[in-house]
Amino acid sequence: MKILVVDDEGIVLLSCRRILEAEGFEVQAAPSVDEALALLDAPGATLPTLLLADVKMPVHDGMYLMRQVKATHPELPIVIMSGYPTDETVENAAAFGAATFIAKPFTPEELLDTVLSVARKGNKS
Amino acid sequence: MLTSIRSKLIVSLLSVTLLVGAVSLLTGVHLLKKHVIGEAANRVELDLTAASEMIRERVRLIRMALNITSLGSGFISAVDVANPDDLAYRLSRLAHHAKLDFAGIVGTNGKVLCRLGSNAKIQGVPAENPIGRMALERQSPAEGTVVLSREELIHEDPELAERARIAVRPNGAAEPAANPGNDETSSLALAAAVPIFEGSRVIGVLYGGQLLNRNETLVDMVRNRLSQAQSYKGRPIATATLFLNDLRIATNVTLPDGSRALGTRVSAEVKTAVLDQGRRWSGRAWVLSDWYITAYEPLEDIFGRRVGMLYVGTLEEKYTDIQAKALTVFILITAAGMIVALAFGFLLANRIMGPVHRLIKASQQVSEGSLTPDIGPILEGEFGRLQKTFMEMVAAVGRRRAASEDKIIQSEKQASVGRLAAGVAHEINNPLTGVLTYTHMLLRRKDLNTEMRADLETIAAATDRVRKIVKGLLDFSRQTKLDPEPTDINRLVSATVGLLENQALVKGVAVKFSPGDSLPMVTLDRSQMQSVLMNLIINALDATPPGGQIKIFTAPGLSGNGAIQKGVEITVADTGSGIPPEHMDKLFDPFFTTKAVGQGTGLGLSVSQGIVQRHQGHIRVQSEMGKGTRFFVWLPIERTGGKP
Repeated sequence: MKILVVDDEGIVLLSCRRILEAEGFEVQAAPSVDEALALLDAPGATLPTLLLADVKMPVHDGMYLMRQVKATHPELPIVIMSGYPTDETVENAAAFGAATFIAKPFTPEELLDTVLSVARKGNKS
Repeated sequence: MLTSIRSKLIVSLLSVTLLVGAVSLLTGVHLLKKHVIGEAANRVELDLTAASEMIRERVRLIRMALNITSLGSGFISAVDVANPDDLAYRLSRLAHHAKLDFAGIVGTNGKVLCRLGSNAKIQGVPAENPIGRMALERQSPAEGTVVLSREELIHEDPELAERARIAVRPNGAAEPAANPGNDETSSLALAAAVPIFEGSRVIGVLYGGQLLNRNETLVDMVRNRLSQAQSYKGRPIATATLFLNDLRIATNVTLPDGSRALGTRVSAEVKTAVLDQGRRWSGRAWVLSDWYITAYEPLEDIFGRRVGMLYVGTLEEKYTDIQAKALTVFILITAAGMIVALAFGFLLANRIMGPVHRLIKASQQVSEGSLTPDIGPILEGEFGRLQKTFMEMVAAVGRRRAASEDKIIQSEKQASVGRLAAGVAHEINNPLTGVLTYTHMLLRRKDLNTEMRADLETIAAATDRVRKIVKGLLDFSRQTKLDPEPTDINRLVSATVGLLENQALVKGVAVKFSPGDSLPMVTLDRSQMQSVLMNLIINALDATPPGGQIKIFTAPGLSGNGAIQKGVEITVADTGSGIPPEHMDKLFDPFFTTKAVGQGTGLGLSVSQGIVQRHQGHIRVQSEMGKGTRFFVWLPIERTGGKP
């Protein structure tokens, strides 16, 4: 299972890679929205099982990324994470089609629970 | 200008003074007139009676003198023998003693026996003197007033005719004389006549009398007896006059040149009343050159004919001067009263308006923002009450302003803390993710010794605490949208109390909820309001020692601040330690806590207040050290304005 993690914070990317790889996931990390889109659209690239993206990022934010991904790969489940989960953020995330939402900081168990539950749904569908 | 209280006050005082002055003036003048002038008029009437009595007295004296003479035996025999020398001597003695102007003896044949004066010894001529003739005819004494014509006077004594002559003078107030230029030649006289008896036989009549024409002695005596010779401005107050018909024949009324007003006539009005109608006349009268208070009465002669008048009068000027003086005094008093009223009005106005102006100034100060305006010393009475009320009002304004400023400060505090929290949370959460991740990943390792594991667990716990603090900050800053629905407050409170019952039981604190009756439904966000209630009850639990009690009750209540608005009040009262006064105004500040480190974030009340305020309600606190604390949450039934 391949998971694409997008966050401008290196420590978050590192943490996610550490947790997910420990569970046997293949992790692709992108420090910006543009790089994430580049990875997704790279010729011959396989689509990840799940997209884990931060909201607040410089240049393009998570909402922009979500719009782009939903346009090109509507079947890709997206999990939105945020260190500042306002009502607006959560609502927007849901409106743009995020599968779920996870608040930073999280324990490894919390992240895994979230990712696994979304991935299981995605597999079923 | 006239709208100012000062001028109103002064005008009122002046009008009152003027009114009182005018009324007392009118009353005073009226009373004065009634009493002084009335008194004078009464006195003049009495004087007239007295004067009339004096004249009669005079007549009686003449008669008495005649009587005494007629009874003398020497006199009787002298008459009997008709001895002219003896009789003339006796008559002249009689005349001298009785002050007679004329006297005579008439025989029974109607002829003169003897007379006074230059014709004394001409005997045998018919007696012309009316009173003598009357006594003779009636064979009895006669006395009274008689009019003697010029002929009769000449007959008596030619000298008398000359003495009695009075030049008629024209005077404006009188009727034109019937014979202008002609002198009055008749004379009025007081006379008496007595029969002379020899035994029971009448042998003659003795008569005598006093001319009234030019008889100053009599009128002056009358005047002096009446007025005790008082004078006013050089003129006698009282005057007396004898009139032959309407002509003054003996008087002490003087003309402006100081001479006696002989030969002048009485006014037509008096003449008509007294001479024509035979009445007494009294009243104010213009006598030649002055106003007098006068009384006149008719004089009748022995035949009952009205032949003249008797007058007494008092100079009115004395009384009018008294009246004028009193009037002047009244006017002066009124004027002085008005000046006093003016001064008093100014003083009073200053006294009243001073504080008013000060209060106006103080109001301006308040409107310019001062809450400690200068209203001067607090006065007694209504004004003091006004001052106190004003200061209370200012204090209330101050409190309200302070309250709204507090509110603004509070919400600014919340906003800035919110912004700070958001920034901090965002920055902290990312590294915190790393700490959490790697701590937990390390903890998964099986090769950790006990010490390393314990250390890692401490890191995990501490990090978890940080996470909770940051979450609290975020909750605080988030201003979560309300999701309002109509709610039964009692049910909400009851459910919340249920959630905390175990906790209370463990601590040994009794929690009692008394639901209020017939509370209206309130539209509110149930979960947020429940967290408010939880927060308040948990705070109460923390403050209350075991064995204490927490009472929660609900009741309908009006809004406590300013506008009257219906609502519901939830009270959470504990028997805890109370809140120190110095903490009261920090209670709702974010991060303010008195709990031990790690026990509370200091955000609970601040967040609760935010939630309640977003429901357009408010939270109040009452606390007494050592006794307990009461929190009141008031919520409006209907919220005004747009969405929170």
